[in-house]
Amino acid sequence: MNLRVSTGPHLLTRENTQTLMLDVLIALAPTTAAGIYLFGLRAAWVLCVAVIAAVLSEYIWLKLMKKTIVIGDLSAVVTGLIVGLNMPAGVSLWIPALGSAIAIILVKQLFGGIGHNFMNPAMFARAFLLASWPARMTSFLLPERLLGTSQAAFGVDMISGATPLVTKARNIPLSDLLLGNIPGTIGEVCKVAILIGLVYMLVVKVVSWHVPVFFVGTVALMSWLVGSDPLVAILSGGVLFGAVFMATDYVTNPMQKIGQCIFGLGCGAMVVIIRSWGNYPEGVTYAILFMNCLTPLIDRFSSKRVYGMVKKHA
Amino acid sequence: MPKNNLRGVFVNGIFNENPVFRLVLGTCPVIAVTTSAINGAGMGLAATFVLIGSNAVISMLRNFIPGKVRIPAFIVVICTFVTMIQLLMQAYLPSLYEALGIFLPLIVVNCIILARAEAFASKNGLMASIVDGVGMGLGFTLAMVLMGTVRELLGNGTVFGFSLLGASFEPVLLFILAPGGFLAYGLLLGIINAISNKRAASKKHEEVKAA
Amino acid sequence: MRKYSFRGGIHPLRDTHEGKELTRNKPIREVVAQVVRIPMDMHIGAPSEPIVKKGDRVLIGQKIAEAVGGIGVPVHASVSGTVTEVAAYQMMHKKPSMCITIENDGLEEWVQLAPLGDVETAAADKIIPAVKEAGICGMGGACFPTHIKMSPPAGKVVDTVLLNGAECETFLTADFRLMLEQPERVVNGLRAVMRAMGVKRGIICIEDNKPEAIQAITKAAAGREGVEVGTLKTKYPQGGEKQLIYSVLGREVPAGGLPMDAGVVVLNVGTAAAIADAVIEGKPLISRVTTISGAVAAPDNLLLRIGTLLKDAAEACGGYAKEPGKIFVGGSMTGVCAPNDEASISKANNGLVVFDEKDAQLPDESSCIRCGRCIDACPVWLNPYQMKRDYQLGKLDEMEKKLHVMECVLCGSCSYVCPARQYLTPAFKDAKDIITARRMKQ
Repeated sequence: MNLRVSTGPHLLTRENTQTLMLDVLIALAPTTAAGIYLFGLRAAWVLCVAVIAAVLSEYIWLKLMKKTIVIGDLSAVVTGLIVGLNMPAGVSLWIPALGSAIAIILVKQLFGGIGHNFMNPAMFARAFLLASWPARMTSFLLPERLLGTSQAAFGVDMISGATPLVTKARNIPLSDLLLGNIPGTIGEVCKVAILIGLVYMLVVKVVSWHVPVFFVGTVALMSWLVGSDPLVAILSGGVLFGAVFMATDYVTNPMQKIGQCIFGLGCGAMVVIIRSWGNYPEGVTYAILFMNCLTPLIDRFSSKRVYGMVKKHA
Repeated sequence: MPKNNLRGVFVNGIFNENPVFRLVLGTCPVIAVTTSAINGAGMGLAATFVLIGSNAVISMLRNFIPGKVRIPAFIVVICTFVTMIQLLMQAYLPSLYEALGIFLPLIVVNCIILARAEAFASKNGLMASIVDGVGMGLGFTLAMVLMGTVRELLGNGTVFGFSLLGASFEPVLLFILAPGGFLAYGLLLGIINAISNKRAASKKHEEVKAA
Repeated sequence: MRKYSFRGGIHPLRDTHEGKELTRNKPIREVVAQVVRIPMDMHIGAPSEPIVKKGDRVLIGQKIAEAVGGIGVPVHASVSGTVTEVAAYQMMHKKPSMCITIENDGLEEWVQLAPLGDVETAAADKIIPAVKEAGICGMGGACFPTHIKMSPPAGKVVDTVLLNGAECETFLTADFRLMLEQPERVVNGLRAVMRAMGVKRGIICIEDNKPEAIQAITKAAAGREGVEVGTLKTKYPQGGEKQLIYSVLGREVPAGGLPMDAGVVVLNVGTAAAIADAVIEGKPLISRVTTISGAVAAPDNLLLRIGTLLKDAAEACGGYAKEPGKIFVGGSMTGVCAPNDEASISKANNGLVVFDEKDAQLPDESSCIRCGRCIDACPVWLNPYQMKRDYQLGKLDEMEKKLHVMECVLCGSCSYVCPARQYLTPAFKDAKDIITARRMKQ
């Protein structure tokens, strides 16, 4: 009889990196479906290219560096899908491909692979593309379906220039904002789908409520303070998508709950600051990247009191 | 460092102790002005001129400058040469002068120049100091041109103004913006480190084999 | 009803009733072994000194080894028969343990016992010496000599005795069956401890996944002076001393201190039953209830003599169902692996779990994804993520002074929840061992 001897625990949870990533993918499914429904097959192509490019670049890099191939953990698929969802539907297909490659190689693998990147790969890729090809990244298509009121509001079927939402959103009915009958990137427009994803992630406990609630709450509060409609501020642009799917990225946000609250608060504040006084109409990307950089600092100063650090009883 | 061997001093500045890629000194202009190869070259050569001049003068004065006030004395010498190159460029290369802007007078506080004055010129003879200045200056220039080439090629599709990648190439604008400077610098540093680490490893391997 | 709980913790095997379904409804069955091999180092403290030699005939309850040092307990024969060997064997400890092997002659002859009488009337000052003489030590797993726990040094005021019936470990049902079948033994034991220590309040704490036990104990405790029953939320490690004290009383055991520093003494319900026997009948600790579960043909709750070999215990449950890949005593979170099935059941072994080859497989570690689950799971509110990083970098001082690794209770919660399968608990155990050794040197 050959018995194994090890230190406990001898029982481990069934949850692993792969199942967590699968849960994130499931949570992203409604958003993906809504994006494809709203923007048509064109959006599906963009997403496909982004995902394939992400997985392929991870595979090739790991192969070249003679490392264990870990694409099975699905994290590259998640990164690729989020990169794709951050694109306007009408973008040339080389843009999502390049974005995924940048996210995987430049941000994730160069810093040591999964768990070691200090910025959200998809967010950095978006910032990179936005700075390099601003025109391509901000030519938003109007949704193919559900057109109607908003077409009247915009008067054209394609909007050039940076996010038209913040300036013109006042004319759009709330239902259009919620359902995604507005121009924007593939993933960010349909708020209902994003919320379904959030609920799923909260139910299966993939993420906790701290970051999204503090993020969105701060945006609402500060928007109200600077005099804009808080509801429109939340529902326009990428606030909800960023707060639910990108600010909650484990690797790049703080680990302690109190730290996550600070992180969400900081993201929200940065968004409103950039929207109100910055050069860009939308600031979710930069807000999250900025707070990503502060994460180690937040982690360092948000430690809990350890059990037993009390005075002795009588 | 091989002090007596002039060839060694020269090569040292270009490769082994390249101020930008090995010593990581003077990185402010490296990131700020290398938006094109020509800007990099201009900045590099201006710094080389100052470096040679200040090294030569400080080497000659090294026995007269009291230790306690050596830094102000070095700065005065460096300032003189910076002012000279500034006026010369303003007169003969006005467009480059415009492009380099504030970073030209800022050569005064460039750490490479002060570092060479302090670490080399104030301890070595005239010839060696001049050669060190040339070596270090060329090393700096080379690095600036390399950075400028990479950034100009990616960010504008050209090198020294010549279009290389054809009309269908859509330049990666980010590379001629400030973040692109950091990215290019980081990536080049990483590549150079990877190469030299590999070399050191294979050298060690050979030594072990020989032994 | 109020349910006591603490911050942190996990709930393993939530969907299969913590793995307890296997043995939950199996009444305690006594199994008498043909051969017992009794180790001398079952308790924390110096090993006891054998006072019998090969060939001696011993009776049940006869003292076969004397206590050594300040925190030692004596050891008694658990069967009547002949001593066949006094030799060292590899048990669950790092080094081989001195063991006395006795062959059972089947006569079940007891030594003369000296009972103190009813727990309510026995002389209070005689109880603690009787507990020591009975060789009782913590039967929940740690095996700390009970008479030491019951004798706080002058100046320490203990105002509450907690009986630990949480049994938060997976698979185990030994304490549950004991509380269900013999609740009066448990309550009597608690009363004996309270009287011996002059404590007015005693709480029997049971997790809410054992409603039958709560009912039985509540009934047995009715009308007993100062005895209460507390319901705990089902959660691991609810039965950890520190967590239990925090859950029920809201007090914290100070860092580096003992429960008595928080004014509490915590005893396992099995220990309480053994104390009741020692006081009422004068019986030393010679048997205990152990759950045999996992890959055995018929998992069961057995009343086993101390020193029963693991293979005999498994045999009593119909033998192995599959080729075992790992055998450990205790639950699956903190259980200690047996090197072979020739090791024996000690006073602290509340369970014996057999894993087949598939369950015994050790997973490969992958990169940490900083999900923070370990931080949320830690019942003593440490930062396992940071501790593991510092451990890998060899920063033990950092771990000791800034991260308080010495407060780690090695419950295994962080390792359990880690989706990257990081070996956290083993790393902290190693760090604690090194730091302890370092402190001993100074």
